[in-house]
Amino acid sequence: MSAQKINKVPEIITPSPGDTTFPEAIHLGNGIPVYLIGNGTVDLLRVEFVFPAGQVMEERHLEASTANAMLTEGTATHDATAINDLIDSTGAALTHAAEKDTAGLVTVTLTRKLDEVMALAQEVMFSPSFPDNEFRMLTDRRVQAFLTNRQKTSVVAREAFYEALCGATSPYGRITREEDYRSLSTDDLRRFHGKHYRPDNMYITVAGREPWQALSVLEKYFSAAGTGRWQKAPLPDPGIDPSEPGFMFREVPNSVQSTVRMGWRGITRNHPDYLELQVATMILGGYFGSRLMRRIREEKGYTYGIHAVAGAFHGTGYITIMTDVANAYRDETLGEIRNEIDKLRNEEVSDDEMTLVRNHLMGEIARMFDGPFAVADAIRGMIDYDTGSVYYTRFAETVRTVTPRRIREVFNTWFNPGEAYEIIAGGR
Amino acid sequence: MFILVSLTYFAFMIGFERQMLASGLRVIVHRDVGTPMVTTNILYDAGARDEDPEATGFAHLFEHLMFEGTREVPLFDVPVMMAGGENNAFTNNDLTNYYITLPANNIETAFWLESDRMRGLDLAGERLDNQKSVVTEEFRQRYLNQPYGDLLLLLRPLAYRVHPYRWPAIGMDISHIEKANSVSARRFYDRFYTPSNAILSVAGNVDPDRVFRLAEKWFGTMAPGERPERKLPPEPEQSERRELTVHRTVPAAHLVMAFHMGDRLSRDFYILDLLTDILAGCDSARFQSILVRQKELFSDADIYLSGEADPGLVIFSGRLSNGTDIRKAEEAVITEFDRLAREHVTPAELDKARNRYESHRLMSYMSASNKAFSLAYHEVLGDADGINRENEQYMSVTEDEMVSVSQRTFRPENTSVIYYLPENR
Repeated sequence: MSAQKINKVPEIITPSPGDTTFPEAIHLGNGIPVYLIGNGTVDLLRVEFVFPAGQVMEERHLEASTANAMLTEGTATHDATAINDLIDSTGAALTHAAEKDTAGLVTVTLTRKLDEVMALAQEVMFSPSFPDNEFRMLTDRRVQAFLTNRQKTSVVAREAFYEALCGATSPYGRITREEDYRSLSTDDLRRFHGKHYRPDNMYITVAGREPWQALSVLEKYFSAAGTGRWQKAPLPDPGIDPSEPGFMFREVPNSVQSTVRMGWRGITRNHPDYLELQVATMILGGYFGSRLMRRIREEKGYTYGIHAVAGAFHGTGYITIMTDVANAYRDETLGEIRNEIDKLRNEEVSDDEMTLVRNHLMGEIARMFDGPFAVADAIRGMIDYDTGSVYYTRFAETVRTVTPRRIREVFNTWFNPGEAYEIIAGGR
Repeated sequence: MFILVSLTYFAFMIGFERQMLASGLRVIVHRDVGTPMVTTNILYDAGARDEDPEATGFAHLFEHLMFEGTREVPLFDVPVMMAGGENNAFTNNDLTNYYITLPANNIETAFWLESDRMRGLDLAGERLDNQKSVVTEEFRQRYLNQPYGDLLLLLRPLAYRVHPYRWPAIGMDISHIEKANSVSARRFYDRFYTPSNAILSVAGNVDPDRVFRLAEKWFGTMAPGERPERKLPPEPEQSERRELTVHRTVPAAHLVMAFHMGDRLSRDFYILDLLTDILAGCDSARFQSILVRQKELFSDADIYLSGEADPGLVIFSGRLSNGTDIRKAEEAVITEFDRLAREHVTPAELDKARNRYESHRLMSYMSASNKAFSLAYHEVLGDADGINRENEQYMSVTEDEMVSVSQRTFRPENTSVIYYLPENR
């Protein structure tokens, strides 16, 4: 206590986001763009390969994630066991990444093992064999994980939300069923792979200490194939077909908690309101002291956590609030969320709260660019969604200048109660 | 004559400076100029093992209260956010750890906040009541509302009979959390939340001298408090196999096998850490290639160390493929253990585990906050410099040691087994 009485409260220096731009791409001999991100302090390199080969490209449900998972299950020269052994002996981590709009591989390797790891990456990405037996085993494992997930209220609520928001036929909204796994064939995967995993359809990021060391190795393994200059092809229309907003209940038997989800159609990253919407969502449910956390966790004690997020895929966006609560509180929780939104639609946020959120977001942006691996993740969003390298400069500017009045307008435009999807997944 | 030069295992050292204040607070600083941020990490030497067996889950509940404000700072998060920082905490069976990561030029805000809540916490009844219900929902969300979520809740009381590791950090039962009150909270706070029972570790873009000056300014004149003595009943050696069968609504059966092992600083820890990596650390590991791919008995098979300070557990955890008999699956696992007790692992396996350890270690050094915690953790184990000695421990593990540790550990009478079966079978 004595230190408190003697010492003055330290003055806070308003946080600034630091450098948030990213470097121009360097091109390999055959045109593959490579982004080099330096400033690492240990001898590790993270090399990521990104293809526009995500869910949005699927002709059949699940082929994007399955083709991606099968890359390391066998190639023209090695079976799955040999591939795994080769990767693991280098100490490297090779991670599959299959998302809504992109897919690829992320490797993190000791710099001295880079050559071996890149040789393998090239092999698994460009000459996978999709063997039937490995495919059958992978399918069994995925079905089992799927059946386990069906028992999670959070998963059931999430699926119901995206189905309602994007439509049952859109790749973003399709609900997975067991037969979707079973009806897929290795021929589907070969077709999907052949179409999308091509050297002229990818880019590479290299992050770590002295990332330019990787260039000659990348040239050696990725430059021979394909001569066409890389050009970013437009992604297909995701065929968004939303259903009517309103309330939905999904039963998950024997649950001791329910997941409550509320959400709205959102906007894409290049929409003029997008950055302001990020600030608005932060105020509502983006941090520990947000309106929803204060009310529903800290005052009511209904939940361990509640979060609000606004995000975007190619061609569409979403706003969503999610929380897990005791079954007995789920209706009250929905009511409390509606109240908090109502307040933000009617009353301007105070200057103190705005300053708090501004500073917090500045810190968040700075942390997104803290260290080469973090930067590599941050710039992916900018490349994939064509926001340009000034995206975070613009974001920081919005964070600094957006007014409480404008925030209220954003809530009135995008959080309309009549347009809300409300979902409860839990016990009867 | 040979000159041995170890090129492969060049050890990357974490440099740090260390001081103890008059108040008993131990302060460690590591400078990392690769980040604009700094992490202040405060570790309190108090975890679930220090709880009353009738009031388990208390250390974790108390961690929640540490965010509930003081007279000086009614909302802990507000100044952290104003300074552009983020903060969080965790509690495990051994310790409770708090950290703030913020832009380096706002470091003093973190010192102010941590010193304030070390002494001036508001333990009013309503804050406590509310956090009791938050923690109850956390208990439900993490352990009861997830398929297989209660596995580890079941394992601890099976494997431990005496030592407080027999309950998990979340608590033995929700009813224990209910019983907490302001008096017990005050007692816990006064006993464990003192400078002499804490370690402050700072890592980031900072000058160590400035950090020591700030530490002196904010913590130096506090009353040290008495460092609580820890007298825990040691777990007696297990003398017969233990078995528990439960039925739950889950899609597939799950097998758990646990074995007692040495403490965190024992040689066994390093041998078993590398050995379990060889068994299940990656896709080419033995369990993945034999139990999952070749025999198709499991859809997933893992083995890991609980990693606690006092003697811990090696835990095998595997989800069965559809239609596999659980006894048959267990036999296949035992066959692998028997092999380890008879034969050396191959040189390639050992080399792989070493390379993987080296990558993991460097990976963990990418983050200043990780380094801050690791230094504090090694200090509470006895010496922060332990962080720089582990490399040698791992690299010197031999094939012979792996055989003998397997013989000592994977014995039938040292085994606790859970058969976690789908309800409809």
